[in-house]
Amino acid sequence: MQNQKQTTHSNSASWWAVARSEEVTSKKPLSSDIGNQELVIWRDAAGIARAMEDRCPHRRAPLSRGCVRENGLIQCGYHGWSFDGETGRLREIPNMKSEQRFPPLYKAQSFAVAESGGFVRVCLTPGAEAPAVDAASLPLYGTAHVGLAQEHYLSTFFDDPGMLFGIKGVEFTPYLASDLKAEAGRLVMERNCQWRGLHWPSSFSSEFPISLLSKTDPLTGETELTLRDDALRTLLTAVIAPVPAARGSTAIRWRARLAKTLNGLRAKQLLIGAPFRVFDTIDAAALRRLTPSASVQWQDLRAAIIQTSQASAA
Amino acid sequence: MLDNIAGPDDSAFTSPAALNDINNWVPHDIVMRDAWFPLAHSAAVGKKPVRRSVYSVPYFLWREDGKAVAASVLPGAGALPETGLTDAAGRYPVMEHYGYVWCWYGNPLAADPLHLPSIPYLPPNGGLPGYLTGTVRFDCAAPVSLENLIDLTHADFLHANVVGDEKSESETVEVFSDSETVTMVRTCIGKSVAPVMKFFSGIRQPTQQVRQVIRIYLRSHAAIAYGRFTPGDDVPLFHPCVPETRDRTRLDYTMNTSNAGLLFRHVMPKASYIVSRQDSSMTSPQSPRYMHESKRRDLHSKFDVAGQRYRLLMKNLVARQAAGDFSYRDNVSADCSDLIGLRKELFRY
Ligand code: FES
Ligand SMILES: [Fe+2]
Repeated sequence: MQNQKQTTHSNSASWWAVARSEEVTSKKPLSSDIGNQELVIWRDAAGIARAMEDRCPHRRAPLSRGCVRENGLIQCGYHGWSFDGETGRLREIPNMKSEQRFPPLYKAQSFAVAESGGFVRVCLTPGAEAPAVDAASLPLYGTAHVGLAQEHYLSTFFDDPGMLFGIKGVEFTPYLASDLKAEAGRLVMERNCQWRGLHWPSSFSSEFPISLLSKTDPLTGETELTLRDDALRTLLTAVIAPVPAARGSTAIRWRARLAKTLNGLRAKQLLIGAPFRVFDTIDAAALRRLTPSASVQWQDLRAAIIQTSQASAA
Repeated sequence: MLDNIAGPDDSAFTSPAALNDINNWVPHDIVMRDAWFPLAHSAAVGKKPVRRSVYSVPYFLWREDGKAVAASVLPGAGALPETGLTDAAGRYPVMEHYGYVWCWYGNPLAADPLHLPSIPYLPPNGGLPGYLTGTVRFDCAAPVSLENLIDLTHADFLHANVVGDEKSESETVEVFSDSETVTMVRTCIGKSVAPVMKFFSGIRQPTQQVRQVIRIYLRSHAAIAYGRFTPGDDVPLFHPCVPETRDRTRLDYTMNTSNAGLLFRHVMPKASYIVSRQDSSMTSPQSPRYMHESKRRDLHSKFDVAGQRYRLLMKNLVARQAAGDFSYRDNVSADCSDLIGLRKELFRY
């Protein structure tokens, strides 16, 4: 298998956000990936999201170049073989007419899918426990791709999130409010922020008006962000899901929502234009000079968590 | 519906070892010697050298006093590479025939016009008008492209908008082979009329009888694709797939529709541009997935007999060459008009 080396992708029962819900339709198959594992994703006749390896077992053509049939089967665009997304089994070959029964060996690789919170998640490990169901899906969304491996994307997030995404009018300071720690299976930390504009540099500020709380899944890096003011009222909630993609790139699917009531002039400015966006370019020169700090701790914590989960799996 | 698939010697192709072979192959590793390759349309070769490759080996083609020549280096270049593929002057054996400049890849002493594939619907001395010819490049290994060509069912599916869908009253497929060729004959009765014929040949009937022949000359990686449509026109295509490099293929095709109506005659050769892009959308992502041995075997249906036979025959030839046997056991230049069911009255040369 191509992705053997990527142990953190394939050996753990991780659920990767390989698509946003609205991208997955029964009109057209979607191509996605987890590291080097190419995927095809679509919705079957019952509206259930399905995922298979993007490789037809007949002549290895990408299934994502095929189509979704009215009965919900995915049909390869090359010779028209149709597969059932739940089991991966071959159901029809055009023109076979009477003999549409095939041995169980006649199947493509299918993967478990779980959909909630506006994300379609796939697990490459068979028989994995379904992930916890998210609350309602957040109304703002987007996808960005960067030429930076997912692991480095995450370490950059812990050291300077401002290189990866922006919240309107917000400056992330290098000064943490609380260290990274494991809490209910997630890695939690809080970073002090300032409103952009005239003020003392963060190194000399006595108070910080806002902060960014983050909760990161140790295996997938999927992160829930909460921007709060100094009264700890939520201003913005976001979920970013950085997924390893082909050739060492990373696909970041995200969703966000502004709080119903925003207090204060600065907070209200979040209502003008897009409040949240994920960058699809990264300043590589700045990246290599970025001093590691919280990411060092993250590496240690993550290694410990993965070791425990592998030990319990074995 | 496929009613009948027949071949003269099926048992040789259904043994467990043979089945294992056709389930898994690495077409990119195939390098076969002692074959003529149609490297250029005659019209493409003039005083100024043009560059071609066979398995990455350079071939420079030009004319000296009107005669086509091919060499491993440009004229006037200094040192000659020692490849064993040329004479002492660095020249490859060359033949000009059927409107192509054919170059020999292999032991120059073994080059023999006897090994030139028979293409009975092309005038031996060339001279067809330029609109019947063209060049297409494929981003895949040459055998992948040929497997695509001999593959029965993809045309109905991938090219339905050009050649018509799969609906037909009855369908028969026969596969013949010898050590140097594989020939597939598909006969359909009551098949939906190809859209391209509806529009450009003015066929009014809802269905037509179709007889399609694909004949591959294994070593030369060159194929005959001859379609007979009743009512309708003949579509005689010469489809060489030159393995210029491992994962890239050059197709200098000729479609001799010179006997068809004015419109069809001009339009059909251009359909190659549409059809080849459709093929390429599959063969280009497919090809790299064959670059290494894989534990996962391809699955087959009964529609794949011709393609399977092609894989197996190629593997047999490769094995023979690996054992040092480069001889031709069958004659590829013998006239194959009857075998492909050519309407000879249309092609008197
Ligand atoms: S490659 Fe998918 S049906 Fe043939
Ligand atoms: Fe084709």
